Amino acid sequence: MTALFNTLIRWLKTPISIAPLATLRVVLGAMLLFSTLRFVALGWVDDHYVCPDFHFTYFGFDWVRPLPALGMYVVHGLLIVSSLCVMLGLYHRLAALLQWLLFSYTELIDLTYYLNHYYFVSIVCGLLLLVPAHRAYSLDVLRRPQIRLSQTPRWTIFIFQLQLGIVYTYAGFWKINADWLLEALPLKIWVPANDHLPIIGGLFALKITPWLFSWAGMLYDLTIVAWLSWSRTRVWAYATVVFFHALTGIMFQIGVFPLVMMGATLVFFSEKWHQRLWQTLSQWTSRFFAKKTPKNALLGSKPLRFQRLMGALLVLHVTFQLLFPWRYLLYPGSVFWTEEGYRFSWRVMLMEKAGTATFYVKDSQTGREGEVLNGDFLNPHQEKQMAMQPDMVLQFAHFLKKHYAQKGISNPSVRAEVYVTLNGRPSQLLLDPHLDLTKISDNWSHKTWILDAAQQ
Amino acid sequence: MLTVNIKYAFFLFLGLLFLVCACEPQKDSPIDRFDRKALLQNLADNLIRPAYQDVRNEANTFHTAVQAFSTNPSETTLADLQQQWVATYTQWQYVNAYNFGPAGEAGLSKSLVEEVGTFPVNTLKMEEAMAVGTWNLNDFNRDIRGFLAVEYLIFGINQNNSAVLSAFASNPFRSQYLLELSDNIRQRLNAVQSEWSGPYAVSFVENAGTDVGSSTAQLYNEFVRSYESLKNFKLGLPLGKRTGQTQSEPLLVEAVFSGQSLPMLKAHFTAIENIWYGRSSKIGQDGLGFRAYLAAVEGGNALIISTESQMTALRAALNAVPESPALSQQIVGNPAPVEALYIECSKMTRFFKSDLSSLLGIAITFSSSDGD
Repeated sequence: MTALFNTLIRWLKTPISIAPLATLRVVLGAMLLFSTLRFVALGWVDDHYVCPDFHFTYFGFDWVRPLPALGMYVVHGLLIVSSLCVMLGLYHRLAALLQWLLFSYTELIDLTYYLNHYYFVSIVCGLLLLVPAHRAYSLDVLRRPQIRLSQTPRWTIFIFQLQLGIVYTYAGFWKINADWLLEALPLKIWVPANDHLPIIGGLFALKITPWLFSWAGMLYDLTIVAWLSWSRTRVWAYATVVFFHALTGIMFQIGVFPLVMMGATLVFFSEKWHQRLWQTLSQWTSRFFAKKTPKNALLGSKPLRFQRLMGALLVLHVTFQLLFPWRYLLYPGSVFWTEEGYRFSWRVMLMEKAGTATFYVKDSQTGREGEVLNGDFLNPHQEKQMAMQPDMVLQFAHFLKKHYAQKGISNPSVRAEVYVTLNGRPSQLLLDPHLDLTKISDNWSHKTWILDAAQQ
Repeated sequence: MLTVNIKYAFFLFLGLLFLVCACEPQKDSPIDRFDRKALLQNLADNLIRPAYQDVRNEANTFHTAVQAFSTNPSETTLADLQQQWVATYTQWQYVNAYNFGPAGEAGLSKSLVEEVGTFPVNTLKMEEAMAVGTWNLNDFNRDIRGFLAVEYLIFGINQNNSAVLSAFASNPFRSQYLLELSDNIRQRLNAVQSEWSGPYAVSFVENAGTDVGSSTAQLYNEFVRSYESLKNFKLGLPLGKRTGQTQSEPLLVEAVFSGQSLPMLKAHFTAIENIWYGRSSKIGQDGLGFRAYLAAVEGGNALIISTESQMTALRAALNAVPESPALSQQIVGNPAPVEALYIECSKMTRFFKSDLSSLLGIAITFSSSDGD
């Protein structure tokens, strides 16, 4: 056992070329740069953070608040600058730290905008802080040639491969469920909705296509890491990465996600491939990267205590990544219906869900009850997300209590009639419409107030 | 040998993915394709364009009646004017849901419904403007222009025609204001109508996807908005159903001065039904609408049944509201039938607002969703 452990440690510490790490740094910086510019250009800083009167918060993170308009633009401006610096490898440690903090901050402001790929980007930004990604092919190296390295311990690259492996494998694993494989849901809804696309559109109208996509998608997610890891299949596997993500990028409104995955999976390519890439690039940009090859140096041995701390941190992270997605098993009922344990689990595009939520606020003194226009407080996306997710329904109810108490309604009680449709099935009540939601608080335990999804 | 096998398996797997792209759809293959272009074509040709043409024509006729009235204000010309207003505003109900494309927001201008259909109007501001003879029909004061500002001028409070005539006689600005209001409505409707007669109709039909900017998505979003405005603003608010209201506010009904709230409500609901059935109001024949689209997707029939049974209930509740007195008076004196109508309207919301778009896979917001 100890021997095995030692072998593993030795393998993880084996020096390999630093080139893949430099590629990853550039790709991640470029991705965030593009993503943030796009976000700002689309006017989403206003739409997402400035305009709404109310923000849904992450459990335990309700202290994360948006800044006033100017502040939010400064945050995004800094994010653009720091991404650019990360890409170029300029003042990398500071830039990477800023990039991680700022991106995570914007993501934590409002639960409405939770996306698995944003979570993934946030994790990768964090991991980038732990590795010497700037010590080759960077402006920092140009500034301070003495930091230049040609090699890096294998773990610094393996951790990214492992993270991607977890993402893909879990995404594939969760697809193994009756709706996805036997009913081809929700793809049976989504695929025909794309039958207008040129060339491929006609095929989307075929009855068999949703099943083909469901099974292919499941097999793809489950096995792609293996194909990418194996040198003989790598190029072809990467071609399918490009094809698969380009296809879903055309079909679905998923923003920068296809680019994120196409960029991130480059980390599976061999050291040699990355070295050749950088050689080619260096020839183009010889002014910056000087033709001489990097010193054949390896990251100087850090103190043992530091190594242990780093090791513990990574083990903790990987353990969390492996275990956290399984927490849904601790809750009764369907995870699709209750969403208890749904987020942060790499459950992606698994269901078509929508709801209509109508809130009623009652004055406890006069007994008069009024209906709320959700649009008075929420933007369309917030309303859409809230109307199908129990914890968000609860948050909004609490907000309404506070808001209308200030407006002079005495000790308001709030109830909600929420109808949710899952994978195209007839909508049904998510919770008891007579329940006073202000008496309920959110926590980690099972939400007993969620009605069971009727067997259909 | 082993590697060859794995390689073979991999190519098989690859083939599975590419198969979808490789084969041509055959004529007799099990294609279950709904022709969204045909739906959009039907909507454009048989519902939207005729509706805009009709309301444009009515508005032009109305403007002529305004001119006749202002040159010769009399009981007769006023009665003609009032009659033509009812005809025009009834027709307006049939374009309420098409508040996109040429009728959508553009620059400083808000959507057509906001520009000419805002209610309640601010009669105080209107009187102030007429007292000094200055007004702006292009700024953010949308509550002093449009159909319902005109309604106030020509019906007055309590529908007292002699009071209306003497008000026009005592202030020449009043007549000028009416002319400009009517001309403003006419121009806005003409502008939208001419766009629909031109290249916009073609691009509307061509934009046949289901993404957020697609014609189907725009049509759907405005269909839902229109329905919700019926429920929330034409009924809920006057009934005092909103949180924060301490009593009913009957004066908030649509078309309060003419007392035509109920007929307008009925026309509005008929317009909603027409979109559902793809029904041409001219020929009265059903074509491709949301109903036909639903019928073509799996699980659609269940939603058709529940939606239509609710439509029947809603129509029955609508017919159960007495024709007279005016809706605003019923809300005070005999609110029970109106309350019942409101409840039936509420029961319908979920079918339109979430079940329909979910089954059809229509994108309703711009934000990115989860990748795969």
